[in-house]
Amino acid sequence: MATVTLNQAEKTYANGYKAIHGIDLEIQHGEFTVLVGPSGCGKSTLLRMIAGLESISDGEISIDDKVVNKVAPADRDIAMVFQNYALYPHMSNYNNMAYGLRNRGHSKSEIDSKVREAARILQLEDHLERKPSQLSGGQRQRVAMGRAIVRQPKVFLFDEPLSNLDAKLRVDMRLEIKNLQQRLGITSVYVTHDQVEAMTLADRLIVMKGGIAEQIGSPIDIYEKPETLFVAGFIGSPAMNFLPGKVSDDRTHVVVGDKVKLDLDHDVEAGRNVTVGIRPEHFRLCGDDAGPVSASVRMVESLGAETLVYLDFGIGNENVTLRVQGTHQFAKGTVLTLSITPDMIHLFDSETGKRI
Amino acid sequence: MYQSKWRIFTNHAILILGALFMIMPVWIAFVSSTHTREFVFQNGLQFWPGEHFFENYGAILFDPSATKGRVTALEMLFNSMVLGLGFAIGKVIISMMAAYAIVYFRFKLAVPLFWVVFSTLLLPLEVRIVPSYEVVASLGLLNTYTGLILPLIASATGTFFFRQFYRSVPDELLEAARLDGAGPIRFFIDILVPLSVTMIAAIFIIMFVVGWNQYLWPLLMTTDDQLYTIVIGIKQVYNSLYEGGQIPQFPKAFALTIMATIPPVLVVVVFQRMFVKGLVETEK
Repeated sequence: MATVTLNQAEKTYANGYKAIHGIDLEIQHGEFTVLVGPSGCGKSTLLRMIAGLESISDGEISIDDKVVNKVAPADRDIAMVFQNYALYPHMSNYNNMAYGLRNRGHSKSEIDSKVREAARILQLEDHLERKPSQLSGGQRQRVAMGRAIVRQPKVFLFDEPLSNLDAKLRVDMRLEIKNLQQRLGITSVYVTHDQVEAMTLADRLIVMKGGIAEQIGSPIDIYEKPETLFVAGFIGSPAMNFLPGKVSDDRTHVVVGDKVKLDLDHDVEAGRNVTVGIRPEHFRLCGDDAGPVSASVRMVESLGAETLVYLDFGIGNENVTLRVQGTHQFAKGTVLTLSITPDMIHLFDSETGKRI
Repeated sequence: MYQSKWRIFTNHAILILGALFMIMPVWIAFVSSTHTREFVFQNGLQFWPGEHFFENYGAILFDPSATKGRVTALEMLFNSMVLGLGFAIGKVIISMMAAYAIVYFRFKLAVPLFWVVFSTLLLPLEVRIVPSYEVVASLGLLNTYTGLILPLIASATGTFFFRQFYRSVPDELLEAARLDGAGPIRFFIDILVPLSVTMIAAIFIIMFVVGWNQYLWPLLMTTDDQLYTIVIGIKQVYNSLYEGGQIPQFPKAFALTIMATIPPVLVVVVFQRMFVKGLVETEK
């Protein structure tokens, strides 16, 4: 168990490209922190800086209050799981797990008991003598995790460990990782671009963009109160609908397009141009009753448990996505009436993209 | 793919003819080496084995006079073996280490240095053979195994192949090893060398055969019969065929040739198995 502290950590590459623009972060004992963001946002770079595989250009990174800027990766007492597993292909799975312990001079019997314990936890006991190439993707990833847990490090680092697995296995392994982390109680930092992984695994979520932490908070906080347009669009699937709007003169409505008027209970000045954000799952179908919004159906996607409906709100070619439970059949052009409660409406400043 | 009978027939006919074409000279040399020299001199080259196999091969292996020098074929085979092995092992070790430095260590001029090494591929040994001789001579290494092997031990080809191979090894493997507490030497020995087994086997085969077949270099470096390699020995024997007014030693010359080809063939056969095995097992 350990804390990890980042104090204005920055990364500038030799060619002058600045990948990380000063990040402050404090990770508590046993906390599961997830770094999420689109490719190129710097999340992997940040993880590699914590691991010591990338140098820190400015600022400080500490593990357990000890600054590790100049400490070699092997001496930071961390373990990392890589996206492509990075198992040593010529060694048996047993030796893959034992290698780090051997280099640290543990005794043979100690290594053996630790490796067997890890294998038991990960259900790899039958595969110890085999080579990684004889295992399936999921088993290989387990060996990679075994290699990490035998050392009982202070911090686990995961670099997109599930993205090479197929969809079903990904769900299984996701649960397994969460379970394992909770059982061992080891501070973990996990990088992913998959927002489902991010939402389900994280105690604390860090949404990154362009080398900056856009928002740090619990997954539900971030879902309910995204601070910026980027975070609002990135977290949640299908993505939040963004509509250009203008606050009415009496400040009780926001007007979207020509005909849609939505009730507001925000404290905004009249006439301000805003971006209105509404999650697809927060619309309610009004049936035959007259609702505040009516829009015609452009396309329907049935997923079984839910149906995604793409609507024409009369704002150009933009679709507005509506998500309803169960299966529904709507013909193209059907006019649906919808309502939405004011507290489900997010308002963002049109210029800065910041939450209002 | 569907193949008609006619097509299978022609394919095989061509392959069999090709194989015969390659194997016939070796066969003729071998069977001709099992007759007496008088018989070969009178009747020309033979197509069927004779009865003097043990006599001829025994003489060539153990009797210095049969090879027209002061060394037996056995000694020459030993010299060739030392040259071939020293040449191949030395080249593999040196080029692996050179490539390791070039690929994994960031030092100034790494790239230009690599291209300097690589450009020497274009220079055959013959271009630098006189200066090399001068260096070996002034070091007092003429007529020694060291002098035979050492000047040839650097290999641009080997360095290039190992460099290409190392670059194909995923970076994560290095990073995982660093996290596992392996330093540069541990990483090289524990990870890189075992991964390179197939490359090592391939380069070893090629280099052994090249070393074994060296002619000009040992000819210049050795004036002492005791250090003659078998390739030089063959030349000596063939040279003496028409000298001295005796009946030419055709069977013994052929016997020497056949023996000279056996070790490289064995090396290729043995290592090719490893080569294939390695390919199957180190799949990533």
